[in-house]
Amino acid sequence: MTLAENLFENLRLELRRGCLTLAVLVQLRQEHYGYTLRKDLAECGLAIDESTLYPLLRRLESQGLLVSEWREEEKRNKRFYRLSSDGERMLSQLLEEWNSINASIDAIINRGQ
Amino acid sequence: MELLDRYLQAVKKFLPSRRQDDIIAELRANMESQLEDKEAELARPLTATEAGDWLKQMGAPMMVAARYQPQQYLIGPAIFPIYLYVLRRVIVLALIVYSAVVAVVIPLTAPSGTALIASALRIPGILLTTAVWVTAVFAAVEFFATHHPGKCPPIDALFGAWSPSTLPPLEKMPTTGRKPRSFAQAVADIVFGLFFLGWLLLIPRHLFLIMGPGAFYWNASPFQFANVWMTFFWWAVALSVAQLVWRCVDLVRGTWQQSARAQRMTMQAIRLGPLELLLSVPGHLYVTLKHPAADQLQYGSTLYTINKNIHTSVLFICAIIVLQLAFDIGRIALDAYRKRATVQ
Repeated sequence: MTLAENLFENLRLELRRGCLTLAVLVQLRQEHYGYTLRKDLAECGLAIDESTLYPLLRRLESQGLLVSEWREEEKRNKRFYRLSSDGERMLSQLLEEWNSINASIDAIINRGQ
Repeated sequence: MELLDRYLQAVKKFLPSRRQDDIIAELRANMESQLEDKEAELARPLTATEAGDWLKQMGAPMMVAARYQPQQYLIGPAIFPIYLYVLRRVIVLALIVYSAVVAVVIPLTAPSGTALIASALRIPGILLTTAVWVTAVFAAVEFFATHHPGKCPPIDALFGAWSPSTLPPLEKMPTTGRKPRSFAQAVADIVFGLFFLGWLLLIPRHLFLIMGPGAFYWNASPFQFANVWMTFFWWAVALSVAQLVWRCVDLVRGTWQQSARAQRMTMQAIRLGPLELLLSVPGHLYVTLKHPAADQLQYGSTLYTINKNIHTSVLFICAIIVLQLAFDIGRIALDAYRKRATVQ
């Protein structure tokens, strides 16, 4: 990997980090377990590594933004996650912030053209 | 699937024991679902190679387990700038204190050049130990702040009293276009100054430090230094100490970047004092005979020549210092004139 590619990769990861959390919170307005959540996000064009997504779910749960429960589905015990009430409040604040940043970035890009 | 079991077993070993069963159960459920999907897509079980590739894509067990650990730092980003600042200051302080102790203790206890060199060689070890202690203290602070967030005041609060009015005034940029002295240069000046002081204090008992092999011939000769040299020696020690104190004050006040011209000129002017003392010695007797009654006849004329040459040398040194002072004063005047001309 060249220096420029390495720099791009670092900046890309930095840019994605916050977006992934937001996408996970949005997606968990409906209940999911880890694997189906990952599949859904990938279908929407946001592929996440398993080793990133599964620990992220645990972290968000420990922060009180998600709740989870073990339940049997298709003869297998799975851990299902969904937004908690705190998570819903946080998500609406984050979406507001996201829209504001998005609008600002668009305005900056359009002004520069 | 045996390979998956082995993989999960390897991941489990790197997980915290309290949560490992729960994490592994969840990871197993997710991975088995993924495996089912893959096999349904292929309409056959994965081959050993395909299974190996899939697990490789998941990541090394240690790295996968590491993602489940809370983010930990030895010294976190919040206190790292403070750590770096304190580390630099403490290392400098340790270097100065150690050099000062060496400069004073060695001439008093074991006055020899070897002891001085051995002390200098101990410096890297002392600095490393100091750095380890500072790092350990900050790592402990980080650990306490992370594990007991409520009991530890936020680091930012330490700087809450900061006010823009306490900012130091703008530093004067050198007019000569030369780079200002760096912090490292300022510290090196102090450390070398301390070692110079140690060397100076050793001279009365070890003449070879200044005269080299000539010291042995000197001791065997019928001549000896007059008492005025001891007065001169203590003048030199006092001047050296004063210069060191000045440099330390500059370092503490953060003014080491400023031009040392004023300091140099003051020191040169003060240096004229002891030289004046040498010039005013009655009869220019810098060197005397150990046994005047017995040796006067044989060495009298040599003694006269030696004293005359020393007097001429002192005069010559005085002239150089006066010329240097005049040159510096001239440069200051010229700089002031140019500055005034630029303003107009």
